[in-house]
Amino acid sequence: MSESSEPLPLRVSTPVDDADREVLVRVAAGDLDALEELYDRYKTMAYSIAYRITNDASLAEDVVQDAFLGAWRNAAKYIEGRGSVKTWLLSIVHHRAIDAIRRRRPTSELPESTDAPPAALTAPDIWPEVASGLDAEMVRGAMAVLSPPQRQAIELAYFGGLTQQEISERTGVPLGTVKSRMRLGLLAMRGFLAAAPGRDDATLGTSTP
Amino acid sequence: MTEPNRPTELTCDDVRDLAGSFVLGALPAAEADAVRAHLATCPEAHAEVAALGSVVPVLDLDAAAVGLEPPAGLKGRILAAAAAEPNVAAAVAPVAAPATVPAPIPIPFPSADLPPERAAVKPRTSPLAWTLRIAAVIAIVGLVGWNVLLQGQLTESQQYQASVAAVLQAAQQPGAVAAILTPDGGTGSGIAAITATGDITLAMHDLAPTAGAQVYEAWAIGSDGAPVPLGSFQVGRGGTGSLDAESVPASAGLIVALTLEPDAGATTPTMPIISKGVATAAG
Repeated sequence: MSESSEPLPLRVSTPVDDADREVLVRVAAGDLDALEELYDRYKTMAYSIAYRITNDASLAEDVVQDAFLGAWRNAAKYIEGRGSVKTWLLSIVHHRAIDAIRRRRPTSELPESTDAPPAALTAPDIWPEVASGLDAEMVRGAMAVLSPPQRQAIELAYFGGLTQQEISERTGVPLGTVKSRMRLGLLAMRGFLAAAPGRDDATLGTSTP
Repeated sequence: MTEPNRPTELTCDDVRDLAGSFVLGALPAAEADAVRAHLATCPEAHAEVAALGSVVPVLDLDAAAVGLEPPAGLKGRILAAAAAEPNVAAAVAPVAAPATVPAPIPIPFPSADLPPERAAVKPRTSPLAWTLRIAAVIAIVGLVGWNVLLQGQLTESQQYQASVAAVLQAAQQPGAVAAILTPDGGTGSGIAAITATGDITLAMHDLAPTAGAQVYEAWAIGSDGAPVPLGSFQVGRGGTGSLDAESVPASAGLIVALTLEPDAGATTPTMPIISKGVATAAG
């Protein structure tokens, strides 16, 4: 397939990223002041994501605590070059929150194989960095390119913790359509980001469907 | 995860079809594993998977932009929990940071030359600042605890960790005061918490072992300057010691001090102070 087969070369190391890395090195060395700095910097973002997923203030609080303690324990395992500290930390928050709501869900709603945890519960896949240097306007712009059905499918999956099969059942939309909505939605966002000013990525601007 | 109870060999077209669901975490575990297995072995690069995946964090940034503030108490709880749990990477993996293990001393300390500033910022920052100072100390004593453990003195180390946790818990009670003890004419660092009801818990490390009838005696020295004996303890080869005893009620400015006495039961210090700290509001 010729469409959009390259990752976006958007890895831009901002001064914030560098400062974050320095803080994380101190966290890895057991410096609690550094953990506090990291918390102060990202508490609002972390709590917002946790609340968005759990829709429950006290559960969101547990998730944020869990995530920062996870960062405390695992700071030494953060691999520079695989993404910014911010993306790493927020993805920990995200995955802990998804774990939390999946644990809470009545067993009748769980996918058939209850013994095998859904993918997100194990090792999160890490993708090349694109999010780190984006400002709020770019983020809003990228979200705005989604059609309402694309947005619904993506949000049910990513923030609702549902599998594609569950989304299909819940919305009454055929599985194949759910899959392509998610895929084309992400592709559209990617196209927007690739074409945005300031991104040296002109060759990839053709991917928007 | 590893059970191949259904044929999950995927073709390249399958993987392309599933790429969006995969990067959004919307595949059941078996299918996600099948995608990973394919990606790990396929001669084709499947760059489209990474291309879609790189967009996913943008969704989190959108959610994060809502700007909800977490409850104020969360920070203290996180830092206290982190303090109670020594950062294993720092303690066990010397390759990670051999030179950056924090020096045991000096500890940030609310010394007597700072009272005006403390009074000015007290309403908001005092309890939290205390949590942080306690946390900083525990990070350090935590490392010490690990060293003790590595020397095979497991029991003493466990006792010590438990006493540190007890101090931390006491310090979080309303009206409690806490003091960080630093060496003053001897060796020995640690923390003490005194509750509003007058219980003191103390955890010390780096003390010289006691010999014979020798004891470490803890003293509270109030504004009248008269030391009140709080209790005594002995110290073994590991150099740690703890105390849980009745005290004078908590008050900010109280000095907690240790002396090494020839035997238990001293009503006034007969030996010089070896370690001390000033209590300030903690709860």
